[in-house]
Amino acid sequence: MSPLSSVSARPKFWRDVRFLRWVFQIFVLAVVFGILYWIYGNYQTNVERSAVPTDFGFLDNPASFTIPGSDFDQSSPVSAAFVRGFQNTMLVAVVGIIFSTIVGTLVGIARLSKNFLVKTLASAYVEIIRNLPLLLLITFMNLAVVLQTFPRIENAWQPFDLFVISNRGLALPWFEGSGLILLLIFAASIVVSLVVMKIERARADRTGQKSRAGIFAILIILGFLLVGWMLLDYSWTLPFVDGRGTTGGLRMDPSFFALIVALVLYTSSHVAEIVRGSIQAVHKGQGEAADALALSPGQKMRIIILPQAFRIAMPAIGNQYLNLTKNSSLGATISYFELTQIAQITVGNGSPAVPAFTLTLFIYLAISLATSLIVNFFNRRLALVER
Amino acid sequence: MILWLRRNLFRSIWDSITTIVFGGIALWFIWISIEFVFITGRWEIVEVNLKLFLVGRFPEELMWLIGASMVAIAFWVAAVAGGSPLGTEPRLRLGERIVDYVRRFGLIFALAILLVVLSNSMESLLWLGLIGVGVIAGRVVGRMRRDNKIIQKLPGIIWQPMIATPAIALVIFTLLESTLELWGGFLINFYMALISIILCFPLGLLLALGRRSSFPVIRVVCTTYIELIRGAPLFVLLLLAGVALEFFIPPTISPDAVFRGITVFTLFTAAYLAEIVRGGLQGIPSGQIEAGKALGLSTVKINSLITLPQALRSVIPAQIGQFISLFKDTTLAGVALNLFDVMTVGKVITKQDDFLGQGLIYESLIFVGLLFWVVSYVMSKESQRLEKRLGVGIR
Amino acid sequence: MSESVFTDATKMSGDRKAEDAIVVMRGVVKKFKDFVALKQIDFAVGRQEVVVVIGPSGSGKSTLIRCINRLEEHDQGEIIVDGTELTTDVKNIQEIRKETGMVFQSFNLFPHLTVLDNISLAPRQVRGMPKAEAEELSRELLERVKIPEQADKFPAQLSGGQQQRVAIARSLAMKPKVMLFDEPTSALDPEMINEVLDSIKQLASEGMTMVVVTHEMGFAREVADRVVFMADGEIVEVGTPTELFDSPKEPRTQKFLAQIL
Repeated sequence: MSPLSSVSARPKFWRDVRFLRWVFQIFVLAVVFGILYWIYGNYQTNVERSAVPTDFGFLDNPASFTIPGSDFDQSSPVSAAFVRGFQNTMLVAVVGIIFSTIVGTLVGIARLSKNFLVKTLASAYVEIIRNLPLLLLITFMNLAVVLQTFPRIENAWQPFDLFVISNRGLALPWFEGSGLILLLIFAASIVVSLVVMKIERARADRTGQKSRAGIFAILIILGFLLVGWMLLDYSWTLPFVDGRGTTGGLRMDPSFFALIVALVLYTSSHVAEIVRGSIQAVHKGQGEAADALALSPGQKMRIIILPQAFRIAMPAIGNQYLNLTKNSSLGATISYFELTQIAQITVGNGSPAVPAFTLTLFIYLAISLATSLIVNFFNRRLALVER
Repeated sequence: MILWLRRNLFRSIWDSITTIVFGGIALWFIWISIEFVFITGRWEIVEVNLKLFLVGRFPEELMWLIGASMVAIAFWVAAVAGGSPLGTEPRLRLGERIVDYVRRFGLIFALAILLVVLSNSMESLLWLGLIGVGVIAGRVVGRMRRDNKIIQKLPGIIWQPMIATPAIALVIFTLLESTLELWGGFLINFYMALISIILCFPLGLLLALGRRSSFPVIRVVCTTYIELIRGAPLFVLLLLAGVALEFFIPPTISPDAVFRGITVFTLFTAAYLAEIVRGGLQGIPSGQIEAGKALGLSTVKINSLITLPQALRSVIPAQIGQFISLFKDTTLAGVALNLFDVMTVGKVITKQDDFLGQGLIYESLIFVGLLFWVVSYVMSKESQRLEKRLGVGIR
Repeated sequence: MSESVFTDATKMSGDRKAEDAIVVMRGVVKKFKDFVALKQIDFAVGRQEVVVVIGPSGSGKSTLIRCINRLEEHDQGEIIVDGTELTTDVKNIQEIRKETGMVFQSFNLFPHLTVLDNISLAPRQVRGMPKAEAEELSRELLERVKIPEQADKFPAQLSGGQQQRVAIARSLAMKPKVMLFDEPTSALDPEMINEVLDSIKQLASEGMTMVVVTHEMGFAREVADRVVFMADGEIVEVGTPTELFDSPKEPRTQKFLAQIL
């Protein structure tokens, strides 16, 4: 410290900003804790008055309900029901995210099509779906489409004898028993095609010729699948009507089908808007720069615009994934056995409401947190790669 | 014409194939829609239950209160929209202006006419007329606020309550005159959304400021609240409020379902609003705050006079988007809290004796969808228009 | 005048004595994380004195004047403005900001307020001046910076030069005892620089105390009572414009002037 500076000028502590800042913060903290304490106090008195348990002991009690189409029965513990609910929520989330991304991206690009009809249809899709309540879409899919319009199982629709569609659900052909083999072959084909693509790109770079990497990749994957077919003979089953249900193939609950379709419709309409906005955001200056370099429209889209648009779109699309996961809780309104429905039923069966719903909320919070961590991870990677 | 077709529909072989395929699908879809709407659809289920759809079991003799509230709300909204000096609007001639209004609000008007026709009563036509008068009056008053030098001088803190008072007073009066259990139908969705929007605003602003505060404790408190709420599904929160709210308040209070709904919607939307406002605050250059400090303004005044007004204005479109989604989400309260809201009405009426088992769920739900769709669509289009104007206007 | 004037920045120009100082800095150190922006600065500004601070970018000149109204908080040493020391006392900072006006490089006008409201905001909100009086004052100030006709426009509708003159009027509205200018012409198109400099010169001729950070050497030569050359967070050389520009003593000053002139 400079010898010139005087120590006498320090303010009295009750006039010192640094001190006052802490006083203020401690005051705010006290108010927050006061409110929380008040709520907690109310909770204590109310719980004592009505003699409800506050711990998580209910998780070990028998659930006393069944989940149709599974080995979960009356005597299984409540905790097992929550695990089942969590699995179903994740199933809806993953399937929903995959299909929303595909549909949303296609519709988003279609909205920028030069073809008037394609553009108009895509816009109509987005504008109609986006402005409807999600619950209405879910209810509509469930009550109107599945339960009313789909036929009874006796006269189920069986297009090409491949599918069975009825108000008891959907059944699709499925690689029963050979799913793993198929997956392995598919993975191997992707690895090989990536290597070939790299070699082909390098060749194209060397010779200056056009790269045919994309075509090669598709041919390799198809080839692998075909060879696998001939050598290993995948076993797969077609579903068929069997009395009051279906046998074989992959069976989907009607409520699962209604929920997924509604969620994908709703989320994809939002994803489409994000995709369109991001492409347009990049398009202006960058598009002109690409034109100035005489890149073809295809090259312009692939090399210049889409990579950048993807980077812009990523955070917003991640948000939509989070929304979809949280919106899957509406499955409870059509009795799909996901997390919220499980919580609702167990509370209805006498489990204490506050612990049960707190547990549910924390599971959702954990899912949200995990999703945003994954999205952030990709975000950071993208940002690094593209920069 | 042919040139247009070639350029927009048949540029190449692939293009032509797409056009034909999608054209076929579109035509088929349009055809079944027209067939359903005008030929096979049995809309008498809507006609008979129109009152149930709109106001539930609200007592007939108090209906005038709802009409009057709608007029006051229309006046309020028009006055706010007409009075905001947001950007520069091109001056239009009368004819152009009418075309402009029809393009922007024609759908709402068409829906209103449809409702009047379905209701089959002179009274509703009268109320529609009065609402129209309310809109025009609001617009005139709003324009006066914008253009009249003397009225302009009124500070916003006096002006805003002034134009809102009739609406708020009438809504509160309706509340007092009727019991909440009688509220139902679209009315309950509309009022829950409106009240929650008004209530979540102060809380959202405080949370946004708190999250950017230089006080670490306040920042942590606000961030925790916002992130906890944003990580939770609204539907679960509503269910929780439905069965567990009484555990957290003194046993002397017994909240009713509408109250629970409004509480959850307010607390929920405030967290999302806070994030939107925070985005706006982040967009304000730090020089603005420095200039305020250099002039000797206190932190409170810098926020209330400099940063917040600019931040709020720049995120108006996002705010409207959030309010639209709140409006749509009010349907969740019907299921979670057993309210007799419009979605519930739509499901219940198909089980009435006259319509049981006749498969009229399509008619019923499509009507509900139409109500939400028209309001949301017009609002979102208006917010896009505003976004463009904010982009090129003053600033 | 003795030779030592040129290195001692606390010595004011003319026959001002120590008690005439309105801004005093003693041993001021300012760090940004590990970077030391100001190293032991001793500096003073006398009443009605015009001090111009020059130096290469990153030399700490902006930090110096931003410490005077505490837009930056100094880490060591003491700063006294108009008899009040800048401490963490709850009232001091606000008091000192009332007495100092600052004009920024990027104008920082409030875009959502009209020109008139920009100027009358602080007198009304900080000094509690009645609205009519504040607006009258604002119009007078606009008169002084020669743009009375722009009162009801929004900042975005004005040219850069006009905006900066509004910013000057906005600071003057608080009737400050010291005016701080942080590169007021750096963000302006060349043809607008002079209109702003003219306003500042006029202020100087009216006896306003000013500290000006600028790259306009012609302006410094014309208006300054003292010129301070800063480099690497230190005050390297101080003198009258003639002394400093025509016969710089320090090699760093010589090098800087050779590059810029």
